[in-house]
Amino acid sequence: MMIRVKLIANYREALPPEAKNGVVELDVPQGTTIYDAISRFDIPLNDESVIVLNGITVDMSTPLKEGDMVTAFSAIAGG
Amino acid sequence: MYGWHLRILRVNLTTRKVTMEDVDPKIARDYLGGRGWAIHYLYKEMDPRADALSPENMLIFATGPLTATPAPTGNRYMVVTKSPLTGALAHSNSGGEFPTWMKRTGFDMFIFEGKASEPVYLFVNEDQVEVRSAAHVWGKDTHETTDILKGETSQEARVACIGQAGENLALMAAIMNDKHRAAARSGVGAVMGSKNLKAVVAMGNKNPPLHDPEGMRTLSVNTSKEVGADVKKGSNMRIYGTSYVPQVTNTLGILPTRNFLQGTFEGVDKIDGDALKDQYLIRHTPCYRCPLSCGRLTEVPDGPYKGKGEGPEYETISSLGTGCGVSDLAALLKANYLCNEYGMDTITTGMTIAVAMEMYEKGYISEEIIGMPLKFGDHDAMIAMVKLMAFREGFGNDLAQGSFRLAEKYGHPELAVTTRKQEFPGYDPRGSQGMGLLYATSNKGASHMEGDVAYEEVFGVPVKENPHTTEGKPELVRHFENSFALMDSSGLCVFVAIRYAFNKDRMILPLRVTEMMNLTTGAEYTPEEVMIAADRVYTLERMFLIKAGSGPEYDTLPYRMLHEPLPDGPAKGMVVKLDEMLPEFYKLRGWDEKGYPTQEKLMELELPLN
Ligand code: SF4
Repeated sequence: MMIRVKLIANYREALPPEAKNGVVELDVPQGTTIYDAISRFDIPLNDESVIVLNGITVDMSTPLKEGDMVTAFSAIAGG
Repeated sequence: MYGWHLRILRVNLTTRKVTMEDVDPKIARDYLGGRGWAIHYLYKEMDPRADALSPENMLIFATGPLTATPAPTGNRYMVVTKSPLTGALAHSNSGGEFPTWMKRTGFDMFIFEGKASEPVYLFVNEDQVEVRSAAHVWGKDTHETTDILKGETSQEARVACIGQAGENLALMAAIMNDKHRAAARSGVGAVMGSKNLKAVVAMGNKNPPLHDPEGMRTLSVNTSKEVGADVKKGSNMRIYGTSYVPQVTNTLGILPTRNFLQGTFEGVDKIDGDALKDQYLIRHTPCYRCPLSCGRLTEVPDGPYKGKGEGPEYETISSLGTGCGVSDLAALLKANYLCNEYGMDTITTGMTIAVAMEMYEKGYISEEIIGMPLKFGDHDAMIAMVKLMAFREGFGNDLAQGSFRLAEKYGHPELAVTTRKQEFPGYDPRGSQGMGLLYATSNKGASHMEGDVAYEEVFGVPVKENPHTTEGKPELVRHFENSFALMDSSGLCVFVAIRYAFNKDRMILPLRVTEMMNLTTGAEYTPEEVMIAADRVYTLERMFLIKAGSGPEYDTLPYRMLHEPLPDGPAKGMVVKLDEMLPEFYKLRGWDEKGYPTQEKLMELELPLN
């Protein structure tokens, strides 16, 4: 199934070159979780990062559905 | 005492009499400095019912105990006065260099009273204090004014001044310092203009003596190193400043779009931090002694929007940009530069144009009245409106009253997204419930800087908080309001202080702020004591509001926030559930069920009982 991952600001560096406006499309197997999807990228998975599914904070073990968008950004130093 | 000079400069502009006064050390300690000291004097000395643009209003510039110390970001001052936009309190914060230079004059605070009979500026070089004619800079923008006044005083001096918007008493007028930094909100520039005070020029070498200079130096160096380590890791605030935030709020569906008709903006990629960095960024510009350096010098090198200056901040992108449906970055930059030059708050400017756009599109204000079509997304019309507003020409005279009065005049006050008549900043509270309670209760009308719980609800700093729920928010908002009152009183910049000078609990505790205050002043505060002092400051401000006629009946939100669900994005279908939060908030604050501080609370805080 196709999902999208969007990395914001400094995390964009971890995206492959085909990404557009910080978004990359991925073909992932059924049962893939947020954690699985985001661990493909070289970004820290700790207190410094905020990861949301379709704009909403959910558990990282939540399985993804077709068309989902996972977004991550660094909260370091806040806004 | 250390850290504070315990000296105030009082300037009566009517009589041109200048006096130097000592500050009672107990008042100094109990009210912390900056915003705290200012409300103490304002409450004691002025009638809160006075017209904000009359000579009876007092205009206070106040530094904190940490201003001009080695503390990283100890570079802030507050402008405190009664607001002509809201009728409530104005307390606007700014950094740059002026505040440090101001404190080095040997005074913690400047108080302006009365009204000069003709344009003047104040020059202070330690004990040399002169009220001088400003006839030659009246009518000039903030950049020219700064250059001319430095030229005729000293290149070592620093300048805070108003532009044409302040002279013309536009209610979104800001006070700009060091050309690009703004004490922006609530019309403080109009108050300065009403006093015929064009500028304040400050210099000197009177650094405040510190209680424990060695201890302060070590703590400051260590704090700077922590910031530096994060900068090395790639801090967004260093790379982008706040310009990365539109992507975050767009993701969460709380990016104010087209006067809050939507929470997401289709053109966000064209005006975000990456677009800015790739096209117009020249370099980063820090405030004095800031290891984070979030400011950015940008330039549009040619074309119709040619210009150069600092910005845009997130709040400018979410008002003049998405708020107006504008996705042309060069035009947005031009509007930002103009606001800095004319001396205008970009939030109120942008959101006032946004409501005018909505009213035009709905047919409530005609093209004839405006003088041109004014559709969402029309960036040239937006720039034209900024100019008209600064000079109060034609339709600009309506715009210069802010969005509430504009919408009211044309029969649709419900379209103004304001509280206490001040425009919302860039977080749609329908998808960030704590921010809704904050806007409804803030002593200065809608403002994120009054207690920015978006740190937790949006950025997860220091702790992630669900933005969609109301549970626990009254407690969080109350705590953040007091914490921000502390930061505004101390002289530190919120951006760095909240991350590096508080602990990392949900209820952030000012452990390092307290340590810095003690090393600086020798006041031997405990963290609990400084939070009580902050509560005292906040509560006294509330008393000022009540006396000014901007009391609990204004603790509400505009129609759109309470009754029109967000139509798009992750917060789709939501409104602000204010009634789930407000009663508990009053209770936690020690206010009665109607929102008035109880006598017990006032006594507990050692505040005047009436
Ligand atoms: S973080 Fe930004 S606003 Fe704050 S002091 Fe540093 S440069 Fe100035």
